[in-house]
This record gives sequence, structure tokens and C-alpha cells, in this order.
Amino acid sequence: MAAKPGSAPVTYSPNLGQKTRPPIFKDNDLDWVRPDGRGFHQCRPAFFRTGAVNSASGSAYAELGSTKVIVSVFGPRESKKAMMYSDTGRLNCNVSYTTFATPVRGQGSDHKEFSSMLHKALEGAIMLETFPKTTVDVFALVLESGGSDLPVVISCASLALADAGIMMYDLVAAVSVSCLGKNLVIDPVLEEESYQDGSLMLTCMPSRYEVTQLTFTGEWSTPEINEAMQLCLDACNKLGKVMRTCLKEAASASQE
Amino acid sequence: MVGLSVGEKHFIQGGIAQDLRSDGRKRLTYRPIYVETGVIPQAHGSARVRLGATDVIASVKAELGKPSALQPDKGKIAIYVDCSPTAAPMFEGRGGEELSTELSVALQRCLLGGKSGAGAGIDPTSLVVVEGKVCWDLYIDGLVISSDGNLLDALAAAIKAALSNTGIPKVDVAAETTSDEQPEVNISDEEFLQFDTSGIPVIVTLTKVGRHYIVDATSEEESQMSSAVSISVNRKGHICGLTKRGGVGLDPSIILDMISVAKHVSEQLINKLDSEIAAAEASEEES
Repeated sequence: MAAKPGSAPVTYSPNLGQKTRPPIFKDNDLDWVRPDGRGFHQCRPAFFRTGAVNSASGSAYAELGSTKVIVSVFGPRESKKAMMYSDTGRLNCNVSYTTFATPVRGQGSDHKEFSSMLHKALEGAIMLETFPKTTVDVFALVLESGGSDLPVVISCASLALADAGIMMYDLVAAVSVSCLGKNLVIDPVLEEESYQDGSLMLTCMPSRYEVTQLTFTGEWSTPEINEAMQLCLDACNKLGKVMRTCLKEAASASQE
Repeated sequence: MVGLSVGEKHFIQGGIAQDLRSDGRKRLTYRPIYVETGVIPQAHGSARVRLGATDVIASVKAELGKPSALQPDKGKIAIYVDCSPTAAPMFEGRGGEELSTELSVALQRCLLGGKSGAGAGIDPTSLVVVEGKVCWDLYIDGLVISSDGNLLDALAAAIKAALSNTGIPKVDVAAETTSDEQPEVNISDEEFLQFDTSGIPVIVTLTKVGRHYIVDATSEEESQMSSAVSISVNRKGHICGLTKRGGVGLDPSIILDMISVAKHVSEQLINKLDSEIAAAEASEEES
């Protein structure tokens, strides 16, 4: 699935120019470069396209660098018989990896927690009360794992939900940063993730300025947290705009 | 899960708003914490922690293994949590699986640090016997016996207590081995090495009910939560991990405020836990 010639992929790198305090994490380091030659605070170009699967109510495809993800949304459809009555809708999420997604075959099964993380990141954004007694299924498939898989899955899933016409408060954008020594790199690739000292993933609804999910690993001091969160929030804001443009393009294309 | 009437819900929410919870606690007060160590004789270290009606056991088992080729100077640590069906009928069969995975992942995130091993509560380099050849593999298992809210904090406390109770047998390595052979080892059954547990963080879960947040929520209070943030803090006051639960979004400034509250609460919790662990160790030696 290649990008259309006219639509150049857009990036969503945050800017931290307006701050008066000197940043703890520098934007570059003289004796170290990232494997793909990006700046430390530079994101990979993001490419999104809705309507990737015909049979689904909504679907989206995302490609950030070598991370390729496809998400389809089914429903709202009747909940399984065994489930109890519920006056709000249910959200069912599943993230799976293709066997060839990872450098070692079948390694994707290490990520059992991704399904519940995706669920938690999305449920705060969906108006579940608009479809009582029914279930919305979100199935994500990582075609190629190239680092920052979960943030890409989450962003792509919210786009697929929007494509399916599920009522949401806002799109959910997700960004992760890795801490490598004294440096903070945004949108890490697989190689950087395997050497990271700490990581932070933030998912938020940009126009509501609300964080739906946040995870940290490694040791952080409060000023470091502040800066990393600002970086992520700014990047989420821009990623949200990229996703919105994608939806607008799809809508105007269908009208023509 | 928890069946509450409208009146009971209002009572809980109103109490939290007025800083007087249904069991008489303030918003940032923990339930009394009871620690018992050495409860499982089969394990190298174990502890049982009770927080009100929440009851968990953690056990530590060590086995000799081979370090992975990528990280020859580090031992392996695995953390698993099991939710027993004795705690709640919904844990039967596969029912507890989702919660178990969630708790295991949260504990791994908080205790094991980043991928490179930086910021880990348990120093994996202390587990190596011969670099690249022999190391200790540590299996930390948590078991939920009875659940009345705040499982994560209780499990983290139990793991900390179990690790301070752990004695790893001293290993003597036969000297005359060539470089590519697996060296012969002799495990001593008299001498044990203790762990340095001062760096192990505690987890403080702040549960947001209405406009306020509380620590150590009971399951009734948890059923009223909009979202919860579990923050692990070590003695230095550094954040070692953070997990958010519950679907409702939070303003970034509220999260930062929660982090500072958690840091404040964690100081008291660490001191309380340390004295409880010391008391439990002392009473175990007496008996």
C-alpha cells in the first residue's frame, strides 16, 4: 500500500522553542546519532489511510517508518449471548502480530498486554452509552514491527473507529519517548527500544487536552517527567492534526 | 462485581468529598498493613501481606541458569501474579487471566526498570555467578488469596518483603574449567547471601473518585472510581514506573499533581513497611 503521489507523508515533531527554562534533555548529541539519522526530537513521517478493509465497518492503515499496522472495527453488533445485559456498549480490543512482523519469527506473542492497553487507551474516548447492549470489536494487526508499535496501534485504532462512525469525544493520538542515557528520543525505532533505560507512552485526546493512558518504565525525576510529558503532548497535538487531515481527505474523496 | 445501591454509592462519594471515608480513614491514609515473612518453607523467600481484607502472598524462588547472550552480566528475573479463584468467583478458569496479566505487567514495569536494566529495583548484575556462564534466575510469584481492593500496592509490598526475606545460597565455582565449558558449581546449603532491598520501590495507587483522589481504595471504593494511577516511588523519591487504569481521561496537570502526592505518601509507606518487615523478620527468628 503506497502513498498516493500527491500526498507527501507528514511528520508531527514537537517544538520546544517557547520555553524559558533550559531543557534537561538536549535535542542532539555530538557523539551519537539515531539509526535512521533523525534528530532526537524528530518524529518519523506519519502516513494514515482509512478504508483499508472492505468488509469491516471501519478500518485504517498506518505506516510510520517501518512500523506498519492495520486496524479494523466491527460493529456495534450484538453482544455474545453469555454476556450479561449492559446499558452501555462494550469495547473489545485485540492486538496481534503477524508471525513475520518481528526479526525473530513469532516473537510478537510477547505482547499479551497490548490488547488491554489498547482497550484502556480507547475506552475513555468512546461514547459507550450511545450503543447499549452491543459490542464494538477492534482488531489490530501489526504487519511489521519497527518500534513504537503500541502508540501506532492506538492512533490507528482511533482513526478506524472514526471511520466506522462510532461516536467519540475526540480522536486518540499516542506517542512514546525513550530515555537513552541522558538523551530523550521521541518515536523510538525497534533498535532504540531494545537499549532504552526508560520509556514513557502517552495517549491523549488533543482537543480536550485529556490524557487517556500513560505508562512509565525506568527511573524518572519530576522535572524529567515534566519535560517528557510536554514533548509527548505537543507531538500528540500535531499527530491529531495529521489524523484529522486524513479523515477530511477521505470524506471529501467520497463526496466527489 | 460489587453490587451497591444508589444510596451507598452517594455515601461513599460524599464521604470521600468530605475527607472521611466509610471506614473512618482520611483520603490519604492506608489501612493497617500486616507483614509476615517466611510463610512458604519451600521457597527461598516469601512473605504474606494483609491490607484490610486484601491478602496476598509473594514467593521468591531462585534457580541456576544461563544468562542470555545479549546480556551476559545480568541474571533473569520473572514476575508472575496468579489470582486464585478463592479470592473471587470471577477468577475461576480464564476469568482472572486478564487481571493477572495486568498486575504482572504493572509489577514488571515498576520493579525491573527499562530494557537495558537501568533503574531496576532489583539489581540484575548481583545475580551473576560466572559472567556469561552461570547466573541465578529469580522467579517471583504473587498470589492473590483474598481481594478487597488495592491489589497492586499489596503485591508490591509483599514482593519487597519476600525479597528482604530471601537468602540465595552461596555458590562455589570449581576453578579448573576451560573457557568454553560450563563450569562446575557447588551450591552451599549453609551460607546464604542477602539481597539489598533498599532500592526496591513501593507502589502507591491513587484512585480518583469524583474530584478527589484516595489511596488504598477498598473494592467498594474502586467500583466508584473514574480512573486510577499507580505510581511506584523508590526511597530517593524517583518515579520508577507508572500505570494508569480506568478509562476516563485526566488532565496532564492532575497527573503531575498525583505524582507529587504519591511521592509524599510513599515516604510514610516505605518507613512503615520497613519497620513492619523488620518486625516480621525478628519474630520469625524467635520462633
